[in-house]
Amino acid sequence: MHILDYITKEKVNLLTRSSKIQDFCTSKLRAHPLPKKQNETWRLANKKKLSALLAYEFDIKSSDPDIPPYLSNKKAINIWIGNTNQLNLKEKNWEIKELKSQEIDDLIEEKLKSSNTEENWSNLLNLSLSSEKNILGIKISGDNLPPLQIFCSSKSNYFNSKTLILFIDKNTKANILQVNSGAKNSSLSLSTYIFLEEKSKVNHGVISSGNDKSNILNSLNIKQNANTDYNLGSIQFQYDFARFEIDVNQIEGNAKTKIKGMQVSNNDEQNGTFSKVEFNGPNGYLDQLNKSLANDKSHSIFDGSIIVPKTAQKTDASQLSRNLLLSNTAKIDTKPQLEIIADDVKCKHGATISELNKDELFYMRSRGLTFAEASKLQLKSYYQEIIDSIPVLEQRIEFLDHLLN
Amino acid sequence: MINENLVNNVVAEPYKYGFVTDIETEKISKGLDEGVIRLISQKKEEPKYLLDFRLNAFKKWQKMQEPDWANLGYKKIDYQDIIYYSAPKQKEKVSSLDEVDPKLLETFDKLGIPLTEQKRLTNVAVDAVFDSVSIATTYKEQLAEHGVIFCSISEAVKEHPELIEKYLGSVVPASDNYFAALNSAVFSDGSFVYIPKDVKCPMDLSSYFRINSGDSGQFERTLIIAEESSSVSYLEGCTAPMFDTNTLHAAVVELIALDNASIKYSTVQNWYAGNENGVGGIFNFVTKRGKCLGKKSKISWSQVETGSAITWKYPSCLLIGEESVGEFYSVALTNNLQKADTGTKMIHIGAKTKSTIVSKGISAGQSNNSYRGLVKMGSKANGSRNYSQCDSMLIGDQASANTFPYINSQQPNSEVEHEASTCRISEDQLFYLQSRGIEFEEAVSMMVSGFCRDVFNQLPMEFAAEADKLLALKLEGSVG
Repeated sequence: MHILDYITKEKVNLLTRSSKIQDFCTSKLRAHPLPKKQNETWRLANKKKLSALLAYEFDIKSSDPDIPPYLSNKKAINIWIGNTNQLNLKEKNWEIKELKSQEIDDLIEEKLKSSNTEENWSNLLNLSLSSEKNILGIKISGDNLPPLQIFCSSKSNYFNSKTLILFIDKNTKANILQVNSGAKNSSLSLSTYIFLEEKSKVNHGVISSGNDKSNILNSLNIKQNANTDYNLGSIQFQYDFARFEIDVNQIEGNAKTKIKGMQVSNNDEQNGTFSKVEFNGPNGYLDQLNKSLANDKSHSIFDGSIIVPKTAQKTDASQLSRNLLLSNTAKIDTKPQLEIIADDVKCKHGATISELNKDELFYMRSRGLTFAEASKLQLKSYYQEIIDSIPVLEQRIEFLDHLLN
Repeated sequence: MINENLVNNVVAEPYKYGFVTDIETEKISKGLDEGVIRLISQKKEEPKYLLDFRLNAFKKWQKMQEPDWANLGYKKIDYQDIIYYSAPKQKEKVSSLDEVDPKLLETFDKLGIPLTEQKRLTNVAVDAVFDSVSIATTYKEQLAEHGVIFCSISEAVKEHPELIEKYLGSVVPASDNYFAALNSAVFSDGSFVYIPKDVKCPMDLSSYFRINSGDSGQFERTLIIAEESSSVSYLEGCTAPMFDTNTLHAAVVELIALDNASIKYSTVQNWYAGNENGVGGIFNFVTKRGKCLGKKSKISWSQVETGSAITWKYPSCLLIGEESVGEFYSVALTNNLQKADTGTKMIHIGAKTKSTIVSKGISAGQSNNSYRGLVKMGSKANGSRNYSQCDSMLIGDQASANTFPYINSQQPNSEVEHEASTCRISEDQLFYLQSRGIEFEEAVSMMVSGFCRDVFNQLPMEFAAEADKLLALKLEGSVG
């Protein structure tokens, strides 16, 4: 059964909780079940693959695989969305507390109601389908918190939908790694909302690894108050269709955002990152790097926009899209955009598309490395920069080896 | 602190080409239908294939929808409220300039484009287009000695039908886009250039477009063909009177460069931009495209866009021939309530093709200036390269500067580089210049001119000086 039938044929309430927010999302989708293809961020989406993502039975249960060895971290607190009972931990300096349904609704209501359907489609779909069990909201406060690893997965032959809400209290410093894994022939819809209260800092990692014919719709929504630091390191690979949406809003400016992301596509996969960073106050800072690697017959997309309205004077934003095209049947589309009104700002962006550097390959081969070894070494350095920015991850070398193999 | 008003004053020079020439014109009634197209075609005594071309385009246009993706936002155009043909009344066909209405000559004289023999610009041949028709083309005979054909497109239809039939619509097909389809249906005049094999055009060619009536649109069409190993430099200028209403200008320019040929197309666009409250001004929707068909052919676009209330323009290059080269150098200045969505498209199809894009946008007042460009590397564009640079300068905190580059590559053995930055007129630099005794306004204009230097260096001599002055005038009063 098509996943949208659950919504349009009004069967969704049988499966999930019922709240006003959810009713709102469902009613929006009933009016416009699919994003319009004229919409800029959906223009390049492969229609067949998007339909395949939606053509699964819906299930609230997921299969949670074992933690892969490269993610073992003895110090970390491991949490499974949809499979964790009562998460309330309290230590001397820190506290992790589960949020109540009403608190969650209050937090995400504004985001869901403010933007238009196309921009918010992934979030609307997600919340229409996430059952109460699959919505995890936690409030994190304090210092010296142990690292958090949050796992989210999908089950073979099913469509799973999960939602994560993180409320980062004032003066809190947190290191969080989200690990999303897709089982064979499955789809996962994940929406994450992170609220950074004043003077808080989050080092956030997102590792999304798929499997044969798995799909992911991953939407990350960040709201930063003044004097907050948000650092993201993300990597996404092995999905037949993957869409990572990053929406950062510096609501008062005076905040720092660093985003380092990477997407890898092989075979005939389509892998895309769509980011939007909005500065709604002065002195904002952004440093964004998005890398992509396209092989075989795959299609890699990056669409990044930086919005600097009149109030955002003294913004310093830079965005770089670096792309490696490794096959002449693969395709890369990149579109870094700037929309600026404030005049006293430093904004720049850049984009490059090329293959592996020939001079470097030649140099390495002249030192006795084979072509395959030299290429691998170059790829390793290409990955390294992103992997270094993923927090919590301890077994970086093992992870890199896993990626390269 | 920069004095806001002072900078604002630097941009507020009144539009000096805003006069209206009082001349008797022949107009057809407002509106557009098949009958109007047949009437235009009949007035121009066109052959059947051209009428069919128009009617076919009209049919396609009727099925199309006006594009709304551009970052412009303008009031809806009522296509039935436009006069599609307007020509100054003249006695039959003029055989020499002496027979041209003196009022018309005076108009072009006022615009700094003398058409009369004694005042002619040295070494630049001019085709002057007034509303819907071409008035005069200078230096035709001298050019003909070299085999160069330079005439109005209506004349070319009659005298060189084989070239028109072969090339018209071959670069911008009638169904290409909404405005190109409209132009193909109702185009009235424009320039035609043919450079034969192995000829380097002995002088710069130029066309000058003037809209005179407030209620008629201008739909001109330019076609330039450069045969093997030939080269030409073509300049285009445009002005219009000040009206409270918006006038539509939808032009199509087609360039064709064969083996080793080179075409340089330069534009200084200074249509009336509307007043400071955004009333009036030209709606400028232009499709310009060049086809580098031959090996090692080259097409270079350089443009200075300062006018029009709305600018929608993407001069493009189709790089088909091996080792062909496309270039785009642009300065777009918007002030007051002007809106511009402009840029280029570089489509790399052949192997070892190269393209360079340098775009400078200056936004002042409450204007909206967007760069929108596409670089596409096709799967056969082995060993191709592109370099793009888009810089924006913001003057005041009311204007917006946007950059939307679309980059698409399907060829691993090609390189695409894009970079963009924004800046403002820095107070430190202004202070430094002023402390050296340079007047504030001059300092601003020096800095703007420095910002645009990369592009001005590419303009032909006559234009470079004009462009520099034009920017200074346009910016008068806007820096603050």
